[in-house]
Amino acid sequence: MQFNLDVLKINCAEETKRVTQFVTEQVAKGYRRKGVVVGLSGGIDSAVMCALAVEAVGKDKVVGLILPERESNPVSSQYAVSHAKELGIEFREIDITPTVDSVASYSQRDEFIRKLIPGYTPGCKYNITLPTDLLDRASFNFYVLQVKLPDGTLEKKRLNLEEFRTITSFANIKIRSRMIHLYAEAERRNLIVAGTTNRTEFILGDFCKYGDGGTDIEALAHLYKNQIYQLADHLAVVSEIIDRAPSPDTFSLPVNDQEFFFRIPFDKLDFLLYAWEHQVPVEQTSKVLDISDEAVKRAFKDFASKNHATAHLRVPAYSLDGDVS
Amino acid sequence: MSNIETIRGFVVENFLFGDGEQLTDDMSFLENGIIDSTGILEVISFLEETYGISIQDDELVPENLDSINNIAVFVENKLALVPDSQERHVG
Repeated sequence: MQFNLDVLKINCAEETKRVTQFVTEQVAKGYRRKGVVVGLSGGIDSAVMCALAVEAVGKDKVVGLILPERESNPVSSQYAVSHAKELGIEFREIDITPTVDSVASYSQRDEFIRKLIPGYTPGCKYNITLPTDLLDRASFNFYVLQVKLPDGTLEKKRLNLEEFRTITSFANIKIRSRMIHLYAEAERRNLIVAGTTNRTEFILGDFCKYGDGGTDIEALAHLYKNQIYQLADHLAVVSEIIDRAPSPDTFSLPVNDQEFFFRIPFDKLDFLLYAWEHQVPVEQTSKVLDISDEAVKRAFKDFASKNHATAHLRVPAYSLDGDVS
Repeated sequence: MSNIETIRGFVVENFLFGDGEQLTDDMSFLENGIIDSTGILEVISFLEETYGISIQDDELVPENLDSINNIAVFVENKLALVPDSQERHVG
């Protein structure tokens, strides 16, 4: 197996053609709809998906929905608006705070966090993070709740499983609320919902079932994050989006994707994932990436664990006849 | 009941639905898909509650927690550090 630092390089013109053909076929023949709706997060994946949809069906048949809630980073909406204007598509911004609040109120969530960190008051910024040094040392995936208190100090508490699940369930309500708004738009206008999950997220399970994983097509799910960046350059995505650190933008205190889920720097992550998926030997991988064999083994173990633990996300539902699809 | 039996009982009951026939005491939980990354959080809560120990972040490493044997040695070392005046909760 040939493995080198060029292994993820793609021919962007050809790849654009391949994806746009897929999108066109799905709109016209697969679903027989009039166009595409994309949730614009202000991040690179949705920006690339939207640009590809425009290439595929034309800007008049693409609608962008910008769906912030009260804890979203305001620059996310600004960047999304800027990109939508650049593409010349119709777009709308809908504040999903009432939708989120109607399922499980922000005050209920605030009360839960206050039990864990008594100094927390509504309006304090918070996030959850994993250790980010997986390549340097072995450790399990334990989440830490971080709250920025009114006096500016950062208080931390390691979460047990029940606490982690509860906070995750609150966060996923935000993501699933976006799915509801996207489908409301899609049904009303006879459009398909285009997902924005890339291969890195798909294989490792960094998406929410019936949230950002609730879509009609996943036209980026074969492309590693590294390749999404290549396409972003090719498609002239606005530089603010290309330059910002990828983030779930689910928590009020900024957290990037490495801290929230991947634990490995992005300049190594996709190469390691590719090597794991293609069974490249550990020694060959470590030599090409200039890291230790132990670091590669730790990454491979983490990939196997995440892939196994999230297998249920990648199937619609289990039934007696197998997957319902 | 020994610590190993207590730990084995917890793992078999909670992660293998009572079927521990194939589980050996030195088997890696993660490599064999017995416990996933979130399952480890369950193990940590169990150990802290059962043995009255406090596990620090830097102790959450495979050499302490990735097999029944590793956990048993780790627990014994932790219990040895508990002052005599403090009550020990042994399984």
